[in-house]
Amino acid sequence: MAAPSAAGLGRRLRAWLPRLTQVRWSRYNPSFLEPEVNKELYQKPWEELSEEEKEKMELKAVRPIKAAPPNVSSSVFSDPVISKFTNMMMKNGNKVLARSLMAQTLEAIKRKQLEKYHKAPEDQKEAIECNPYIIFHQALKNCQPIIGLSNITKGGKTYQVPVPLKDNRKRFLAMKWLITECRENKNRRMLMPEKLSQELLQAFNNEGPIIKKKHVLHKMAEANRAYAHFRWW
Amino acid sequence: LDHGYALPTAARDCLSSIVSQDVQTLTERPRAVFYTSENDPAKHTELHEGRHYSIPLDEVKTVFPHGLPSRFQQQIKTFNEACLMVRKPALELFSYLKSSNFAHPAVRYLIYGEKGTGKTMTLCHVVHYCARQGWLVLHIPDAHLWVKNCRELLQSSYNKERLDQPLQASFWLKNFKTSNERFLKEIKTQKTYVWGKRESTEAGRPLGEVVEQGLARVRNASDAVGVVLKEIKQQCHLGSFRLLVAVDGVNALWGRTTLKKEDKSPVSPEELTLVYNLRKMMMNDWNGGAIVATLSQTGSLFKPSSAYLPQQLLGKEGFDTLDPFVPIPVPNYSRQEFESCYRYYLDRKWLQHERAHTEDGREELRFLSGSNPRQLERLAAPL
Repeated sequence: MAAPSAAGLGRRLRAWLPRLTQVRWSRYNPSFLEPEVNKELYQKPWEELSEEEKEKMELKAVRPIKAAPPNVSSSVFSDPVISKFTNMMMKNGNKVLARSLMAQTLEAIKRKQLEKYHKAPEDQKEAIECNPYIIFHQALKNCQPIIGLSNITKGGKTYQVPVPLKDNRKRFLAMKWLITECRENKNRRMLMPEKLSQELLQAFNNEGPIIKKKHVLHKMAEANRAYAHFRWW
Repeated sequence: LDHGYALPTAARDCLSSIVSQDVQTLTERPRAVFYTSENDPAKHTELHEGRHYSIPLDEVKTVFPHGLPSRFQQQIKTFNEACLMVRKPALELFSYLKSSNFAHPAVRYLIYGEKGTGKTMTLCHVVHYCARQGWLVLHIPDAHLWVKNCRELLQSSYNKERLDQPLQASFWLKNFKTSNERFLKEIKTQKTYVWGKRESTEAGRPLGEVVEQGLARVRNASDAVGVVLKEIKQQCHLGSFRLLVAVDGVNALWGRTTLKKEDKSPVSPEELTLVYNLRKMMMNDWNGGAIVATLSQTGSLFKPSSAYLPQQLLGKEGFDTLDPFVPIPVPNYSRQEFESCYRYYLDRKWLQHERAHTEDGREELRFLSGSNPRQLERLAAPL
C-alpha cells in the first residue's frame, strides 16, 4: 500500500538528507488533476480554447480530479488577497469569526466613505473612492516596503544588510504590520473592524503609523547602505 | 438561466405598469422603476407594489422614535433617506383597516413569517399609515426587552405580588411622549390617581401630566404606563380618536422570562406590571381601533430557532388568548421585489463591487440570500 512505503520512504530520505526533506506529503496518486473553479473557462465554446487548454479538457475526461479545498471558491466575489488577509487574522482556526470581522471592516469602510460622499459638494464627489475593495488593495500596496533588512553574520559580528524583497514577502509584511498594529495599539473598548477600517483609510491616504513604519525601514536600509556588498544572492 | 436580454422580465413588467401610471415621474426621475414618489401610505395600491417610498427624516423622528430595526437605522444614516418597500402584506392590512367597522370590537391582526422576511418593517409601514391618518399609535417596539436583561426589579407599590421595571417603563414613556404629543394634551383622566404621600393627579387633568409624573418619579413609571393604557382603552370607544396597538414580538407576553426574584425563583410574565397591563390591551373587549402584532423568534426566550408559526411561538396560553385573530403571513421577496431591492442598492451606491453590477453577481446574490430580505442586506453589506 502507499501508506507504509510513503512513511518508510520519508524516514529513509530524512536519514540520507538531514536538511532537505518534504514536510507535507500528498496522499493523492500522481494521476489526479487539480480542480478548475473558473466558470468562464467552461462557458467558452470549443473553438476559442487555445491548444494547451484543449489538451487539458481532453485529459479531464479520462483522469480523476482531486477534491477542491475549502478556501477556493467559484463565487464571483471571491478575492485571493482578501482570503489571505482573513487567514492571517484568524486565531485558533476560527475562520467564521475572522470572515465576519473582515465583512464588518469592509462595511465600515464603505459606510464612512459613503457618508463623506453624500455630504461633499458636486465637484469633489468623483474624488472620493467608495469601493472598499479598491481602498483595501491600494492601502496594502502603499504599506508594502520596497527593500528589507536581513541579518548576515560575518567575522563574528551580525550586520543588518539591505536586501531586495520578493513579492510574497512584501505582501506578507504589509499584512502582518497592519494586523499587529490593529491588535496592539487600540483602545480596549474599540472593536477590530472599526480600528482596521481607520488604519486602512489612513494607509490609503499615505498617512498613519504603518506607512511611518515602512519609511523607518527604508531609512534604516538607506543608513546601512555600506554593508550592501555583504549580500551574495 | 437566460443571460441574453437587457432587462429582466420582472423589471419589464414593472415598466409596462408604469406607462399606465404617471408618465411624468419617469421623465423626471429615471429611477422610477423601483421608486415611487407617492409618500402617503393611504394612497398605496397594488400598482405601487415592490416600489420604495421615502419618509421625510423629521417625520421619522416623530413617528418612529423607537420603532425601526437597528440595521435600518444605520441604513438611514448612511443613505441620508428612509426608504421602505411597499409589499403585499402591508397593502392587505391597509384594506382591512380602511374597511373595518369601529363600532365592533377591535380586530387582532397577527403578522407572522420566517426569520428576516420583513415582519417588523410591515408593522412600521402600518404605524406610519395610522400616524398619517391621525390615529393614536401605541407602539411597543420589542416586547422581548421587557422580559429579559432587567437590572432593577422593584416590588410594585400598587400590588404586592407584582414586580416593577422602572428603566424600561421610563424609556418607553419618553418615546411615547415624542410620538403622540397632541393626544396627551387632549385626553383627560377620568379618575384621581395617588402616586405617593404628596403627589397625586386629579380627575380631568391631561394625560401628559401622568406621563410627566412617570418620567419624573422613575419608581412610579410602570404604574404610570398602566394608567395611560387604562385611560386610553376606556376612552377609545367614545370615538374622539382611533387607537392602534402595535406590538412587536407579542409572543414575549405569554412565554417565559429570564428574570429572577431575590430568592432566585423564576419570574413568570404575569408577575410583571408592564406585561400584565399590556395583556389587558391585547384583549378584544374594546372598540374604536385595531390591534396589529408581530411574532418574533429572534429575541424570544426558550424557543427553537426553526419555530415561526403562531401555535409554536405563542404556546397554548397565548394562542387561546389571542384566538380569533387574522393571520397575515409575510413571505420572502418575490422576483419583482428582489429586482427592486437590488436596483435600489445599486442606485444608492451600496453595492460597490464591480462584479455585483453584472448578471452573474445578481444571480449569485439571489441564490445565496434565498430571496430573504435580511440575508440579502447582510450579504450586500461588505460588497
